[in-house]
Formats: sequence, C-alpha cells, structure tokens
Amino acid sequence: MPILELTTLTKHFGGVHAVDELDLAVEEGEIFGLIGPNGSGKSTTVNLICGVVSVTAGRVAFEGRDITGSAPHRVLAAGVARTFQNIRLFGHLTVWQNLWVAQNSVEDRRSENFAKRWFFGSGATRDAVDQQLEFAGLAGKRNELAANLAFGEQRRLELARALATKPRLLLLDEPAAGMNLEEVHALDGRLRALQQAGMTIVLVEHVMELVMGVTDRIAVLNFGRKIAEGLPAAIQEDPAVQQAYLGGGVETAHA
Amino acid sequence: MDWLDFFQSITDGLLFGSIYALIGIGFTLIFGVMHKINLAYGAASIAGAYVSIAVAAYVPLPALVTFLIAAIASGGIAFLIYLANFRFIPLASPLATLMATVGMLILIDEIVVHATDGMPQPYPALFADIYIEWGDFGLRGDLIFIFVLSLIAMVVLMFMLYRTRLGIATRAVAQQPVAAQLAGISLDRTNALTFVITGLLGGLAGAMIGASVGVLSPLLVVPITVKGLIVCVIGGLGSIPGAIIAGLAVGAFENFFLAFRGVTERDMYVMLLLFVFLVFRPGGIFSRSVARD
Amino acid sequence: MDFFFGLLQIIGVHTLLGLSAYVVLQTGQVTLAQAGFFSIGAYVSAMLTVLAGWHIIPALLVSATLAGIVAGIVGFPALRIKGLMLVVATIAFGEFIRLFWFNFDYQIEKKGIVVGPQGGEGFKQIRFFPENGWSTLDVAIFIWVIVALVMLALWWTDRSRAGTVLRAVGEDELAAQSVGINLTAVKVGAFAAGGFIAGIGGAIYAHYTTHIEHLNFGVMLATFAIAYPILGGLRNVFGTLVAVIFIQGFLVEGLRFMGDWRNLLFGALIVLAMNIQPRGLIDERSVKLVRGLFTRDTRN
Repeated sequence: MPILELTTLTKHFGGVHAVDELDLAVEEGEIFGLIGPNGSGKSTTVNLICGVVSVTAGRVAFEGRDITGSAPHRVLAAGVARTFQNIRLFGHLTVWQNLWVAQNSVEDRRSENFAKRWFFGSGATRDAVDQQLEFAGLAGKRNELAANLAFGEQRRLELARALATKPRLLLLDEPAAGMNLEEVHALDGRLRALQQAGMTIVLVEHVMELVMGVTDRIAVLNFGRKIAEGLPAAIQEDPAVQQAYLGGGVETAHA
Repeated sequence: MDWLDFFQSITDGLLFGSIYALIGIGFTLIFGVMHKINLAYGAASIAGAYVSIAVAAYVPLPALVTFLIAAIASGGIAFLIYLANFRFIPLASPLATLMATVGMLILIDEIVVHATDGMPQPYPALFADIYIEWGDFGLRGDLIFIFVLSLIAMVVLMFMLYRTRLGIATRAVAQQPVAAQLAGISLDRTNALTFVITGLLGGLAGAMIGASVGVLSPLLVVPITVKGLIVCVIGGLGSIPGAIIAGLAVGAFENFFLAFRGVTERDMYVMLLLFVFLVFRPGGIFSRSVARD
Repeated sequence: MDFFFGLLQIIGVHTLLGLSAYVVLQTGQVTLAQAGFFSIGAYVSAMLTVLAGWHIIPALLVSATLAGIVAGIVGFPALRIKGLMLVVATIAFGEFIRLFWFNFDYQIEKKGIVVGPQGGEGFKQIRFFPENGWSTLDVAIFIWVIVALVMLALWWTDRSRAGTVLRAVGEDELAAQSVGINLTAVKVGAFAAGGFIAGIGGAIYAHYTTHIEHLNFGVMLATFAIAYPILGGLRNVFGTLVAVIFIQGFLVEGLRFMGDWRNLLFGALIVLAMNIQPRGLIDERSVKLVRGLFTRDTRN
C-alpha cells in the first residue's frame, strides 16, 4: 500500500483548474520528485495535501487513512510535515524556540499530561531540541533570532523544524530555491541520510541537478495535470515533458 | 409606522450619510495606498473645521469660504499626521503606526479642548432656512446642500484618481508598490499626497458635520472615527464606491433606527449587526469570492 | 497617603487591563473589545456582591469566568477575520456590551434602599469594601496580590512552550499550523484568557470606584488596553507594567501640576515613543543594553 495516495485530486480557483484529476501514489521509503513548469500546480498540490487550501474534489489518503480536507495541524498529527517555498520561520523567536514549538506536537501527545506538555516541559523535550539543533548544524546559533540567520541557515532551520515533529512523510516545497551548487550538494546528502533513516520524501523542485540525482521516481505536472511519471532517466527523455518545459504545453492541457 | 415617516427618515439619513461616505473614503484611500489605518483621521477632520471657525472669528467670511478653509486646514493637518505617524515608522511595525495615530488623535483632541476650553462652538449653517415641501414630505435645505457638496467632492476625487497623473500614480502604488517605484513614482510623495487628499475630504466632512449639527465639539471625534471605520470596512477595504454606498446606507439605517426604535436601543442592535456582518462577510459588500491561499 | 494608595489601585487595575490585551496581541490579533469584557467583570461582580451579598473573591472569580466565556465565544467567529476587520469587529462587540449595560435595568430593595444597575444612570453604591471595613491600604494590598498572581502566571506562561506557541501564531499562522499548532484552540484560548483577566480587572475596578456606568467602558478605554502592551513592547509582562506606571503614574498623576497641558503632552509622547521605539519601550535592543550592564549570561 502506498504511504501517500492522491485519487482524482482536483482544485479549481474560480475558472482556473489549478490541479485537475491528479492521481499519485508515493511508496514508503522513496524520494518522489514532483516537477513541472511555473504555475503547473505543484505548490497547490502540497497545499491540498496539507489542508491549507480546500479540496474541490478527489481524495488524499495517508497510510490508508483519508485525510482529505483535514485541518493543517491534523495532517501534521497524522505524520505529514512540510517546508515552504518562501521560507516561513517564526522570525522573532530564537532558533531554539522555533524547534521547541514544533517539538513533541505529535510525539508524547498521550504520554505527557497537559500541564507538563505546555507549561512545565520536560528535560527530555529540551534535550531532543538540542540534539536536533546539533544535527542541523545550528547549535552555535541557538539564541539567535531566526530572522537574523543567513539564508542557507534559515533553510536548514526550516527543515529541522519540520523534522522536529517526527513525521513519516516530508513534503519539501522547492528546498533548493536560491541555493548555490555547494549548498545543493549538501542538501542532496541530507536527503539521502533521511531516506536511509526510513523517511519518505516528496520533493517539489525546479533545480534539475537535485531532482535527477536524488529522486527514485518523478511525476511531471503541467496545467494541473500529470503528463508523465517514471524513473528520472526516462522522464528526461520524455517528449511530452520536453514540450511542456519549452512552453508548448497547450495541447496537453486539453488532452 | 407610517410609510411617509419611514420614507422621510430614510431620506434624511441618506443625505446625512454622504458625510459618513466622505470619512469612509478617507480611511479607505489610506488603507488602499499604505495598508495602514489612520485613527487620527476623524480628529483631523474635526480639527480642520475648528480652524475654519477660528479664522472666521477674525475675518468675516462667506460660509462657503469657511468650508474651503476647513478642507485646506485639515489637509495640512493630515500632512503633519503623515510625517509624525507614518513617514519614519518602519512598515514592519504596524502596531507602532496604529498606536502613534492613537497618540495623534489624543493630541489633536486635546489641542482643540485647550483652544476652546472644551466648550462646543456654534458652526454656521448653510441654507438652513430652505425647506422644500411636497405635502407632508420635505427636504431640509442644509442636508441637500451637504449631499450635493459631497457628491461634487466625490466626482472631483474620482476624476483625480482616474484621469490625472497623480491619481494614476496613487492607484499604481496601491496595486503594485514595487513596480510603481520602478516606474519612477516616488512612494513617499504619493503617500504624502494621498494623506493631503484625504485631509481635504475630511475637512470638508468636518465642516459639514458642524453645519448640520449646528455646533462643533471634541466629543464628535470618537463617534466619527468609529463610523468612518465601519463605513470603510462595510464598503470593503480600499473600495471607494463601496465606501460611498456604505456611508449612505449607514446614514439611512441610523436615522431609521433613531426614528423608530429610540436612541438607547438603536446602537446596541446596530453594533451587534455590524459584528455579525463582519464575521460572515469579512470582505465587505463588494467582496469577491474568497481569494486564493 | 490615601492619594498614593488610590494611585496604586488605578495602576493595578490598568495593569490587568493591559495584560488582558497583551495575551491576545501575542497571537497577532488586535482587539478593541477588552473594555467590554472589563465591563462584564465590573457589572456582574458588583451584582453578586451588592444584590446577592457574596464575598468579593467568589464574585470576582465568577464574573471573570463569565467574561472569559463571552470572550471565548467572540473568539470563535473572530477567527475568520484579521487585521483592520478584526479591529472594527471587536470595536463593534465591545460597544455592544457597553450599550447592553446602557439598556440594562435591574434593581431590588435591600435594607430599605433600592440598589442595582439602572441603565444610563449606572450602578451606584457598590459598597463591599467600606461595608466590610477594608481600609484603602487593605484594598491596595488585595489588588496587588491579584496583580502579582496574574503577572506571575503570565510570566511563567511566556517562558513555557504555551507562551512560545502564542508568539509563533502571532509570527506566522500558516507556519504555526504546519508544525501542528491548532490555530482555533490557540486563538480562542488567548481570547478567553484575555477576557478572564479583563474581567478580574473590571471586578476590582467596580469595587474601588463604588459607582460604574456604561460611559466608563468606551472605545477609549479599549484603546488604552492595547496601548499599554504595545508601548511596553510585547516582549514580556513587565513592559506592560512599566507602560502603565509611565502613563498612569507619570503622565496622568505625575504631571498633574501641568494641568490640562498634560493630556496634550501625553498624546505627543506616544507619537514620539513610537517613532523612536517602534517595537515598544522594552524591545530587544533596550533589553540587551540593560542585561549587558548586569550579567554576561547568554542563556535563553
């Protein structure tokens, strides 16, 4: 059974079909690439999965459970975390606090009582935050305000914050946007490490070096529809994909 | 209830509502351009009217010139408000701007109280002796004058916004501030000019309030501010036609409730209705369907 | 001396009012309904002590809880709106509550005197303190014990995860949701907590002034409620206290010798303060400065 399954997922904004009868199945443990030209509905798809925008029609299932139309915090509680295309940190909280907020939102939900979870906190939680900071390479910045971090550090912090919620599926919305080649390679390594640790990742991306190098399978969207799906090498050769990227996607839109 | 009374109270309210429309337009213009609220706007409008009677006390003036002086004075005050509350406070601190305008409201209010020892000042009415009658139905001359003057002000404003370079610059800034700057429009100057324009409208409104109520009092400031906010929100933020219709509607409703429900209960229901309206139609009367994301 | 205790009472009550707005402001919502919740605390507690003959402590708790519940109920629909819409909607609701008291008439005869809220005339003879022989000092101590408890609770919350979550919602609602924060619960909770604190303030206010009327609870009071935490900076509860002392103690009382001019100065100072310190009197910069003077500790 796929860990994430989209069935004829559809979103209309007025007359615009942002996502149109999209079927996708992401298998557990894979890194799945979702690519397409600007405005092809990639970000909308992520927002639909996360419950940020309402679904017009279709179904989102995670680990076999229907999560269509769930509020964002419930989607997260189910085990799906995300990052944003334009980084969204809590700018006036410290780096440490950014992770603390995300901490044990899911885990320990039942094992700790209300007062302990929200007001008194536990040493274990604090230790966990410290460990995650260490892993993200931000331990030295723990008391900095997130807004004052360098761009690359902010990207790392946002990823760390998503991971702090202990998800089983990670949706990354253009994590390499604005990165230089060196940083892209570092991200590549981190994603492989996460995969090794058992994480399933959906990677929405423009940067082709990253997508082609790290993903196991790729789906291509254009005008809200899936125009191709398969192994990275096959996708690169696909004429429909090349057509879409060269701007001649009109025929496929009505196909 | 009698149909004639009903019609009469609605009509009077509609005519008076044109003042609310002007105040609402002021709030909405500033919001449109800067995405900020200027809570000192009502105070500036009333203060402009005060300046005009102060001038009229020394030099005998025709009433129409008094109105003009009110508008100009209020425009000047609005410019000062821009300098003191908007120019130097960073855009990223909306609460600071909000608070600063509250400080400005208090400051203007207190200056007025000081200058007049808190006594209400009589304001010259125009055409108050005219009354047009059709049987039992009648129109007060001063209200007609107010309505016509407001209409003229609105038409002039619309002409400016849609036909002059300044107006087009203002609308460009409201829609695409970055692109407007790239096109060589000075954000700072456009913002300042918008404040002056709203001040002119506000001063006119302040003078008309004085003329139709008969007196000016600092106690008018808070109700006018609240009414103006209500009009601008019901009309849809940034929408001038919305503010005009909402202003007239608020005037009509208010007068209707006043005539048939009594003053003590009226406002309570009006406020509750307003709350419900805002919750269920947050975009105002003219809101399009929910925006994406 | 009584003047001094009187001032302490005013500062205490206004601190509670400011803190009630502080909680809501932390979630990024600007509310002008606090004067309304404050009035619920005032009227309901006064009815309980005067008409029902309760002791002030249970009366205070019950009225504050009621104010909190009303605030929570307002918080639900208010979730749909933001920014200026919320400002106007909360003005509308606050005014609705005030006008409700304007129309509220309920008197009974007690020991030969007719007592109770009387519409536009207000509610006179709220004499719990004098009837029970509390001195001005007793009242001042009572008020400040409560203020201290509320401040302590909020200070503690600020440092806990709950407080961090409030701030996270204020920073970015979408990001907060995406790390699992239940926006509805947080916002409604903040509204309710704010209403509760405002209710406590109102209950105390009604009993030390002994006479309340709807005009006490207008838009200006609501504006002051948000002015304190904004001026004080939303960094911590002490900012609000400092702002109240600055405004009520220094500007209103301390400058009394200036007569009418002080209100003028008051407005001008707010404008000036916001230009110089847009993030409040106590912001990161000033805190760093003061901290640097006393300690080298860089812990959280």
